[in-house]
Amino acid sequence: MHHAVISCLHANLAAFEAVLEDIDRQGIERITCLGDLVGYGPQPNEVVELIRHRAIPTCQGCWDEDIIDGLNACECSYPSQLAERRGHRAHQWTDEQLSQDNKDFLATLPTSLRRGRQLFVHGSPNSQHEYLLPDMDAFAALERVETAGADTLFCGHTHQPYVRELRDGSIRVRVQSSDSSQSAEQELKLPVRRIVNAGSVGEPRHGSTKATYVIHDEDNGSVEIKEVSYDVERTCRAIVDAGLPEVFAWRLSHGFEYAERAEDASHVCER
Amino acid sequence: MLHELKNHRGAQGYLRLTGVPAEGLEHGCDSGIDLAYLQDQIPDLRDLSKSSQDLANDTEDLLALIELPQFHSPEDSGVSGVDPRIRSQLAELQLRPDRVLHFGQDEGLPRQDTLEFSRLEAWSCQLQGRVWDPNSLSSFWFELVNGAYGDVYRAKGLMNLPDGRAFFCNWMVSQSGSQFLPLEQLAPPDGRPNRISALVVQGKALDSNGIRSTIADCLLTDAVLELHQAPQRERQSQPTPAN
Repeated sequence: MHHAVISCLHANLAAFEAVLEDIDRQGIERITCLGDLVGYGPQPNEVVELIRHRAIPTCQGCWDEDIIDGLNACECSYPSQLAERRGHRAHQWTDEQLSQDNKDFLATLPTSLRRGRQLFVHGSPNSQHEYLLPDMDAFAALERVETAGADTLFCGHTHQPYVRELRDGSIRVRVQSSDSSQSAEQELKLPVRRIVNAGSVGEPRHGSTKATYVIHDEDNGSVEIKEVSYDVERTCRAIVDAGLPEVFAWRLSHGFEYAERAEDASHVCER
Repeated sequence: MLHELKNHRGAQGYLRLTGVPAEGLEHGCDSGIDLAYLQDQIPDLRDLSKSSQDLANDTEDLLALIELPQFHSPEDSGVSGVDPRIRSQLAELQLRPDRVLHFGQDEGLPRQDTLEFSRLEAWSCQLQGRVWDPNSLSSFWFELVNGAYGDVYRAKGLMNLPDGRAFFCNWMVSQSGSQFLPLEQLAPPDGRPNRISALVVQGKALDSNGIRSTIADCLLTDAVLELHQAPQRERQSQPTPAN
């Protein structure tokens, strides 16, 4: 059975509609969303309402959380003063536009979803704000998956789709007996674990304007990263019409994210 | 050219002539950027605009770099390729250049510059005393030269950073990549620097409001600048450990 995983829609309705059309055309009925329904993009209400209309199981992203709880992250979330000011402007605009009903919906979203040994989160099992980058330390990556009790961890947040298999993991422990006369070393072999990043529907950061998502074959475990063209100009016009910074439209139309990722992407904000 | 000026054993000087207006065409404003950068690299460099009447009587070993702004590609090489109206400016100063280099013709200058383009707009902004958030400057420059604020053909600026450094940022459409050249002189960590700082841009359909608004988001407030400078002052006040 095939299963589609989408993430980081960022209020980009044209991209979301194109991805849904692509999924529907393949006859895939099960969809899971990893959050960030809103933020930067011009159609927050429309995107949230479409998620609700399609009853897509969704976990809460960092932007969804910030809209509910307010901006209380430290400045570490942004790589520059410019990105921070733009982020705050986008936050304020989204906060003003999003209906109370849709905010209430975002507040109900869980931080993770589980299906058997599959875990679905926005950033990492630890935080919606933590980036699991494709090149992060293998031990740290394995720790995130193993301690969450998952075989496959689906995440988003980085906006870069990838599939990473963690093989040959082992934990070596030395056990000292209570009389301290002897110690014994034990090695625990860990089975293969996997991190699947779904990329971003609404704000791609993989060098192209195309929306990305993944299809997971639950029977044989294969994962396919999909790229979908959509009407970028339509979203750009909506950005300008909405009064959001015009540079957002320029960045989106050139395949650049609205704001660069923070320099230390592994940093988790201490709120 | 900078290398040649630096290595000259006699006096060194710089003069930028004003150029001649042409219909529908606008000279890019220099805002003193070139002179400020050259004087940073060559502290004894003379600003000949302040003493140009005396040029002819100056020392024989003076090596002067003279910028001659003109709009059209010259048909001839050397002095005869210079616009006659600019030649007359040189004559008034009793100057006979030893060597004339033209953009697009002579080695040592880029093969292409903005000369091929017509009806360019010019935009400039004084930034004296302004200090940039470094990462914001990087983002802004990327957006500027990649077309976020109109079709930019040429951009150059002298930009201050909070650690006291300043960079000469230079980009032209015909060149691959930007130059970011650090100035030699560091500003003291004590308030706002008073060196020349400016940005000049040439292009088409320039979104000056967009440029201004983004620059405003990149510049540091007094309070943030102080956060950067206080630790620098503290480090400087600590005694150097004896060997």
